[in-house]
Amino acid sequence: MSDGGPALYVYGVVRAPDAPQLDSLGVGDHSARLSDVAHGGIAALVSEVDEGPLAAARDLRAHWRVLEEVAKRTTVVPVRFGTVMAGREELVQEFLAPEADRLDALLADLEGKVQLSVKAFYDEERLLGEVVSSSPAVAQLREKLKGMPEAAGYYERIRLGELVSGEVERCRERDTAAVLARLEPLAVAANNEDPGTADTAVNATFLVEEERLDEFSEAVGQLTEELGDRLRVRYVGPMPAYSFADADMAAGSGSWA
Amino acid sequence: MATSQGGGSYLARPQPSGLAEVIDIILDKGLVIDIYVRVSLVGIELLTIDARIVIASVDTYLRFAEAVNRLDLEAKSDSKGLPEMVDDMTTGASKSKTKGALEGAKEKLTGDDDDDDHEDEDGKQKQKQPRGRSRSSASGSSRSRSRKDDDE
Repeated sequence: MSDGGPALYVYGVVRAPDAPQLDSLGVGDHSARLSDVAHGGIAALVSEVDEGPLAAARDLRAHWRVLEEVAKRTTVVPVRFGTVMAGREELVQEFLAPEADRLDALLADLEGKVQLSVKAFYDEERLLGEVVSSSPAVAQLREKLKGMPEAAGYYERIRLGELVSGEVERCRERDTAAVLARLEPLAVAANNEDPGTADTAVNATFLVEEERLDEFSEAVGQLTEELGDRLRVRYVGPMPAYSFADADMAAGSGSWA
Repeated sequence: MATSQGGGSYLARPQPSGLAEVIDIILDKGLVIDIYVRVSLVGIELLTIDARIVIASVDTYLRFAEAVNRLDLEAKSDSKGLPEMVDDMTTGASKSKTKGALEGAKEKLTGDDDDDDHEDEDGKQKQKQPRGRSRSSASGSSRSRSRKDDDE
């Protein structure tokens, strides 16, 4: 690769000796091969990209697949989707060299740990039933709206929805707190993710030591049973430590064992 | 749904994740390289906006309101009048609208989701946007291009 060569898409960072040889294809519309650019003990996993816009589905999938593959083989710090450096020289001079210490610390922190996702979903009908029966304000407004023509009740309907939304938010906070209280002690770190959809009760990610994976899974299992009639739990992983790859984790180190 | 277990300790096994399930995490998380040194490819910003289509709050509220109104808490009292029929219609419409927005985005991003077959990808490649479309504004690439041109 010559100086001023093609731009490089960056997937993640690994320890240089562990940089895997992967057959999977990278992002972009050609059959971009994966390679790595090493500096000191650290290597960035990259593939060449040309100037075209990335195509949504295919490239997101490629990014995800590459990191899944890498994580099966070694510790990786995932880099945010869509990160491109102008070339090999820039990658070294502006990222790998100046960030060497931080990357080294991150890799050390993530070693032997995996990310797991625990989500829980409400049965909407059941949840809303609870909201109506527990909130007089909601019940009242609901009664008032009955039989009101749609146009006339427009603002009341928004108000009703707002009230319900607030109640749902309270349920969400309560349920999230309950789940975190049980699982966080078994994890190295926990992260409360954005709920995403209206029926999401809990959306949390955990960084767990591989050795404690069974213990963690057992706790999730118990929780699933206990919550079973109210919440549908979805337990997914292990995955690359996307949620724990930011700088603050290494610097703050507060919740790190 | 409660899954009945045979008793004793319950060791849940995490499910391998499909792209659809981690899409938000992938779009939101990961190490961020300093914005001043990285190059952005055109399309990423649009993609991430696409991917996180957030239903406007009013839409969400209306959806909640409709769902609450639909609840059959007590026995149905009266026969269906015009207002209710109208309500049913709009319920259907706006429900499919909001759901459609999210699911549409997901579909668009994840294609057939978890399956690893390559047919899917080939299909997608054929559907690719015409090349020149956003090229004129491909500012991200101009950097690598100009480097090449300026090569001393």
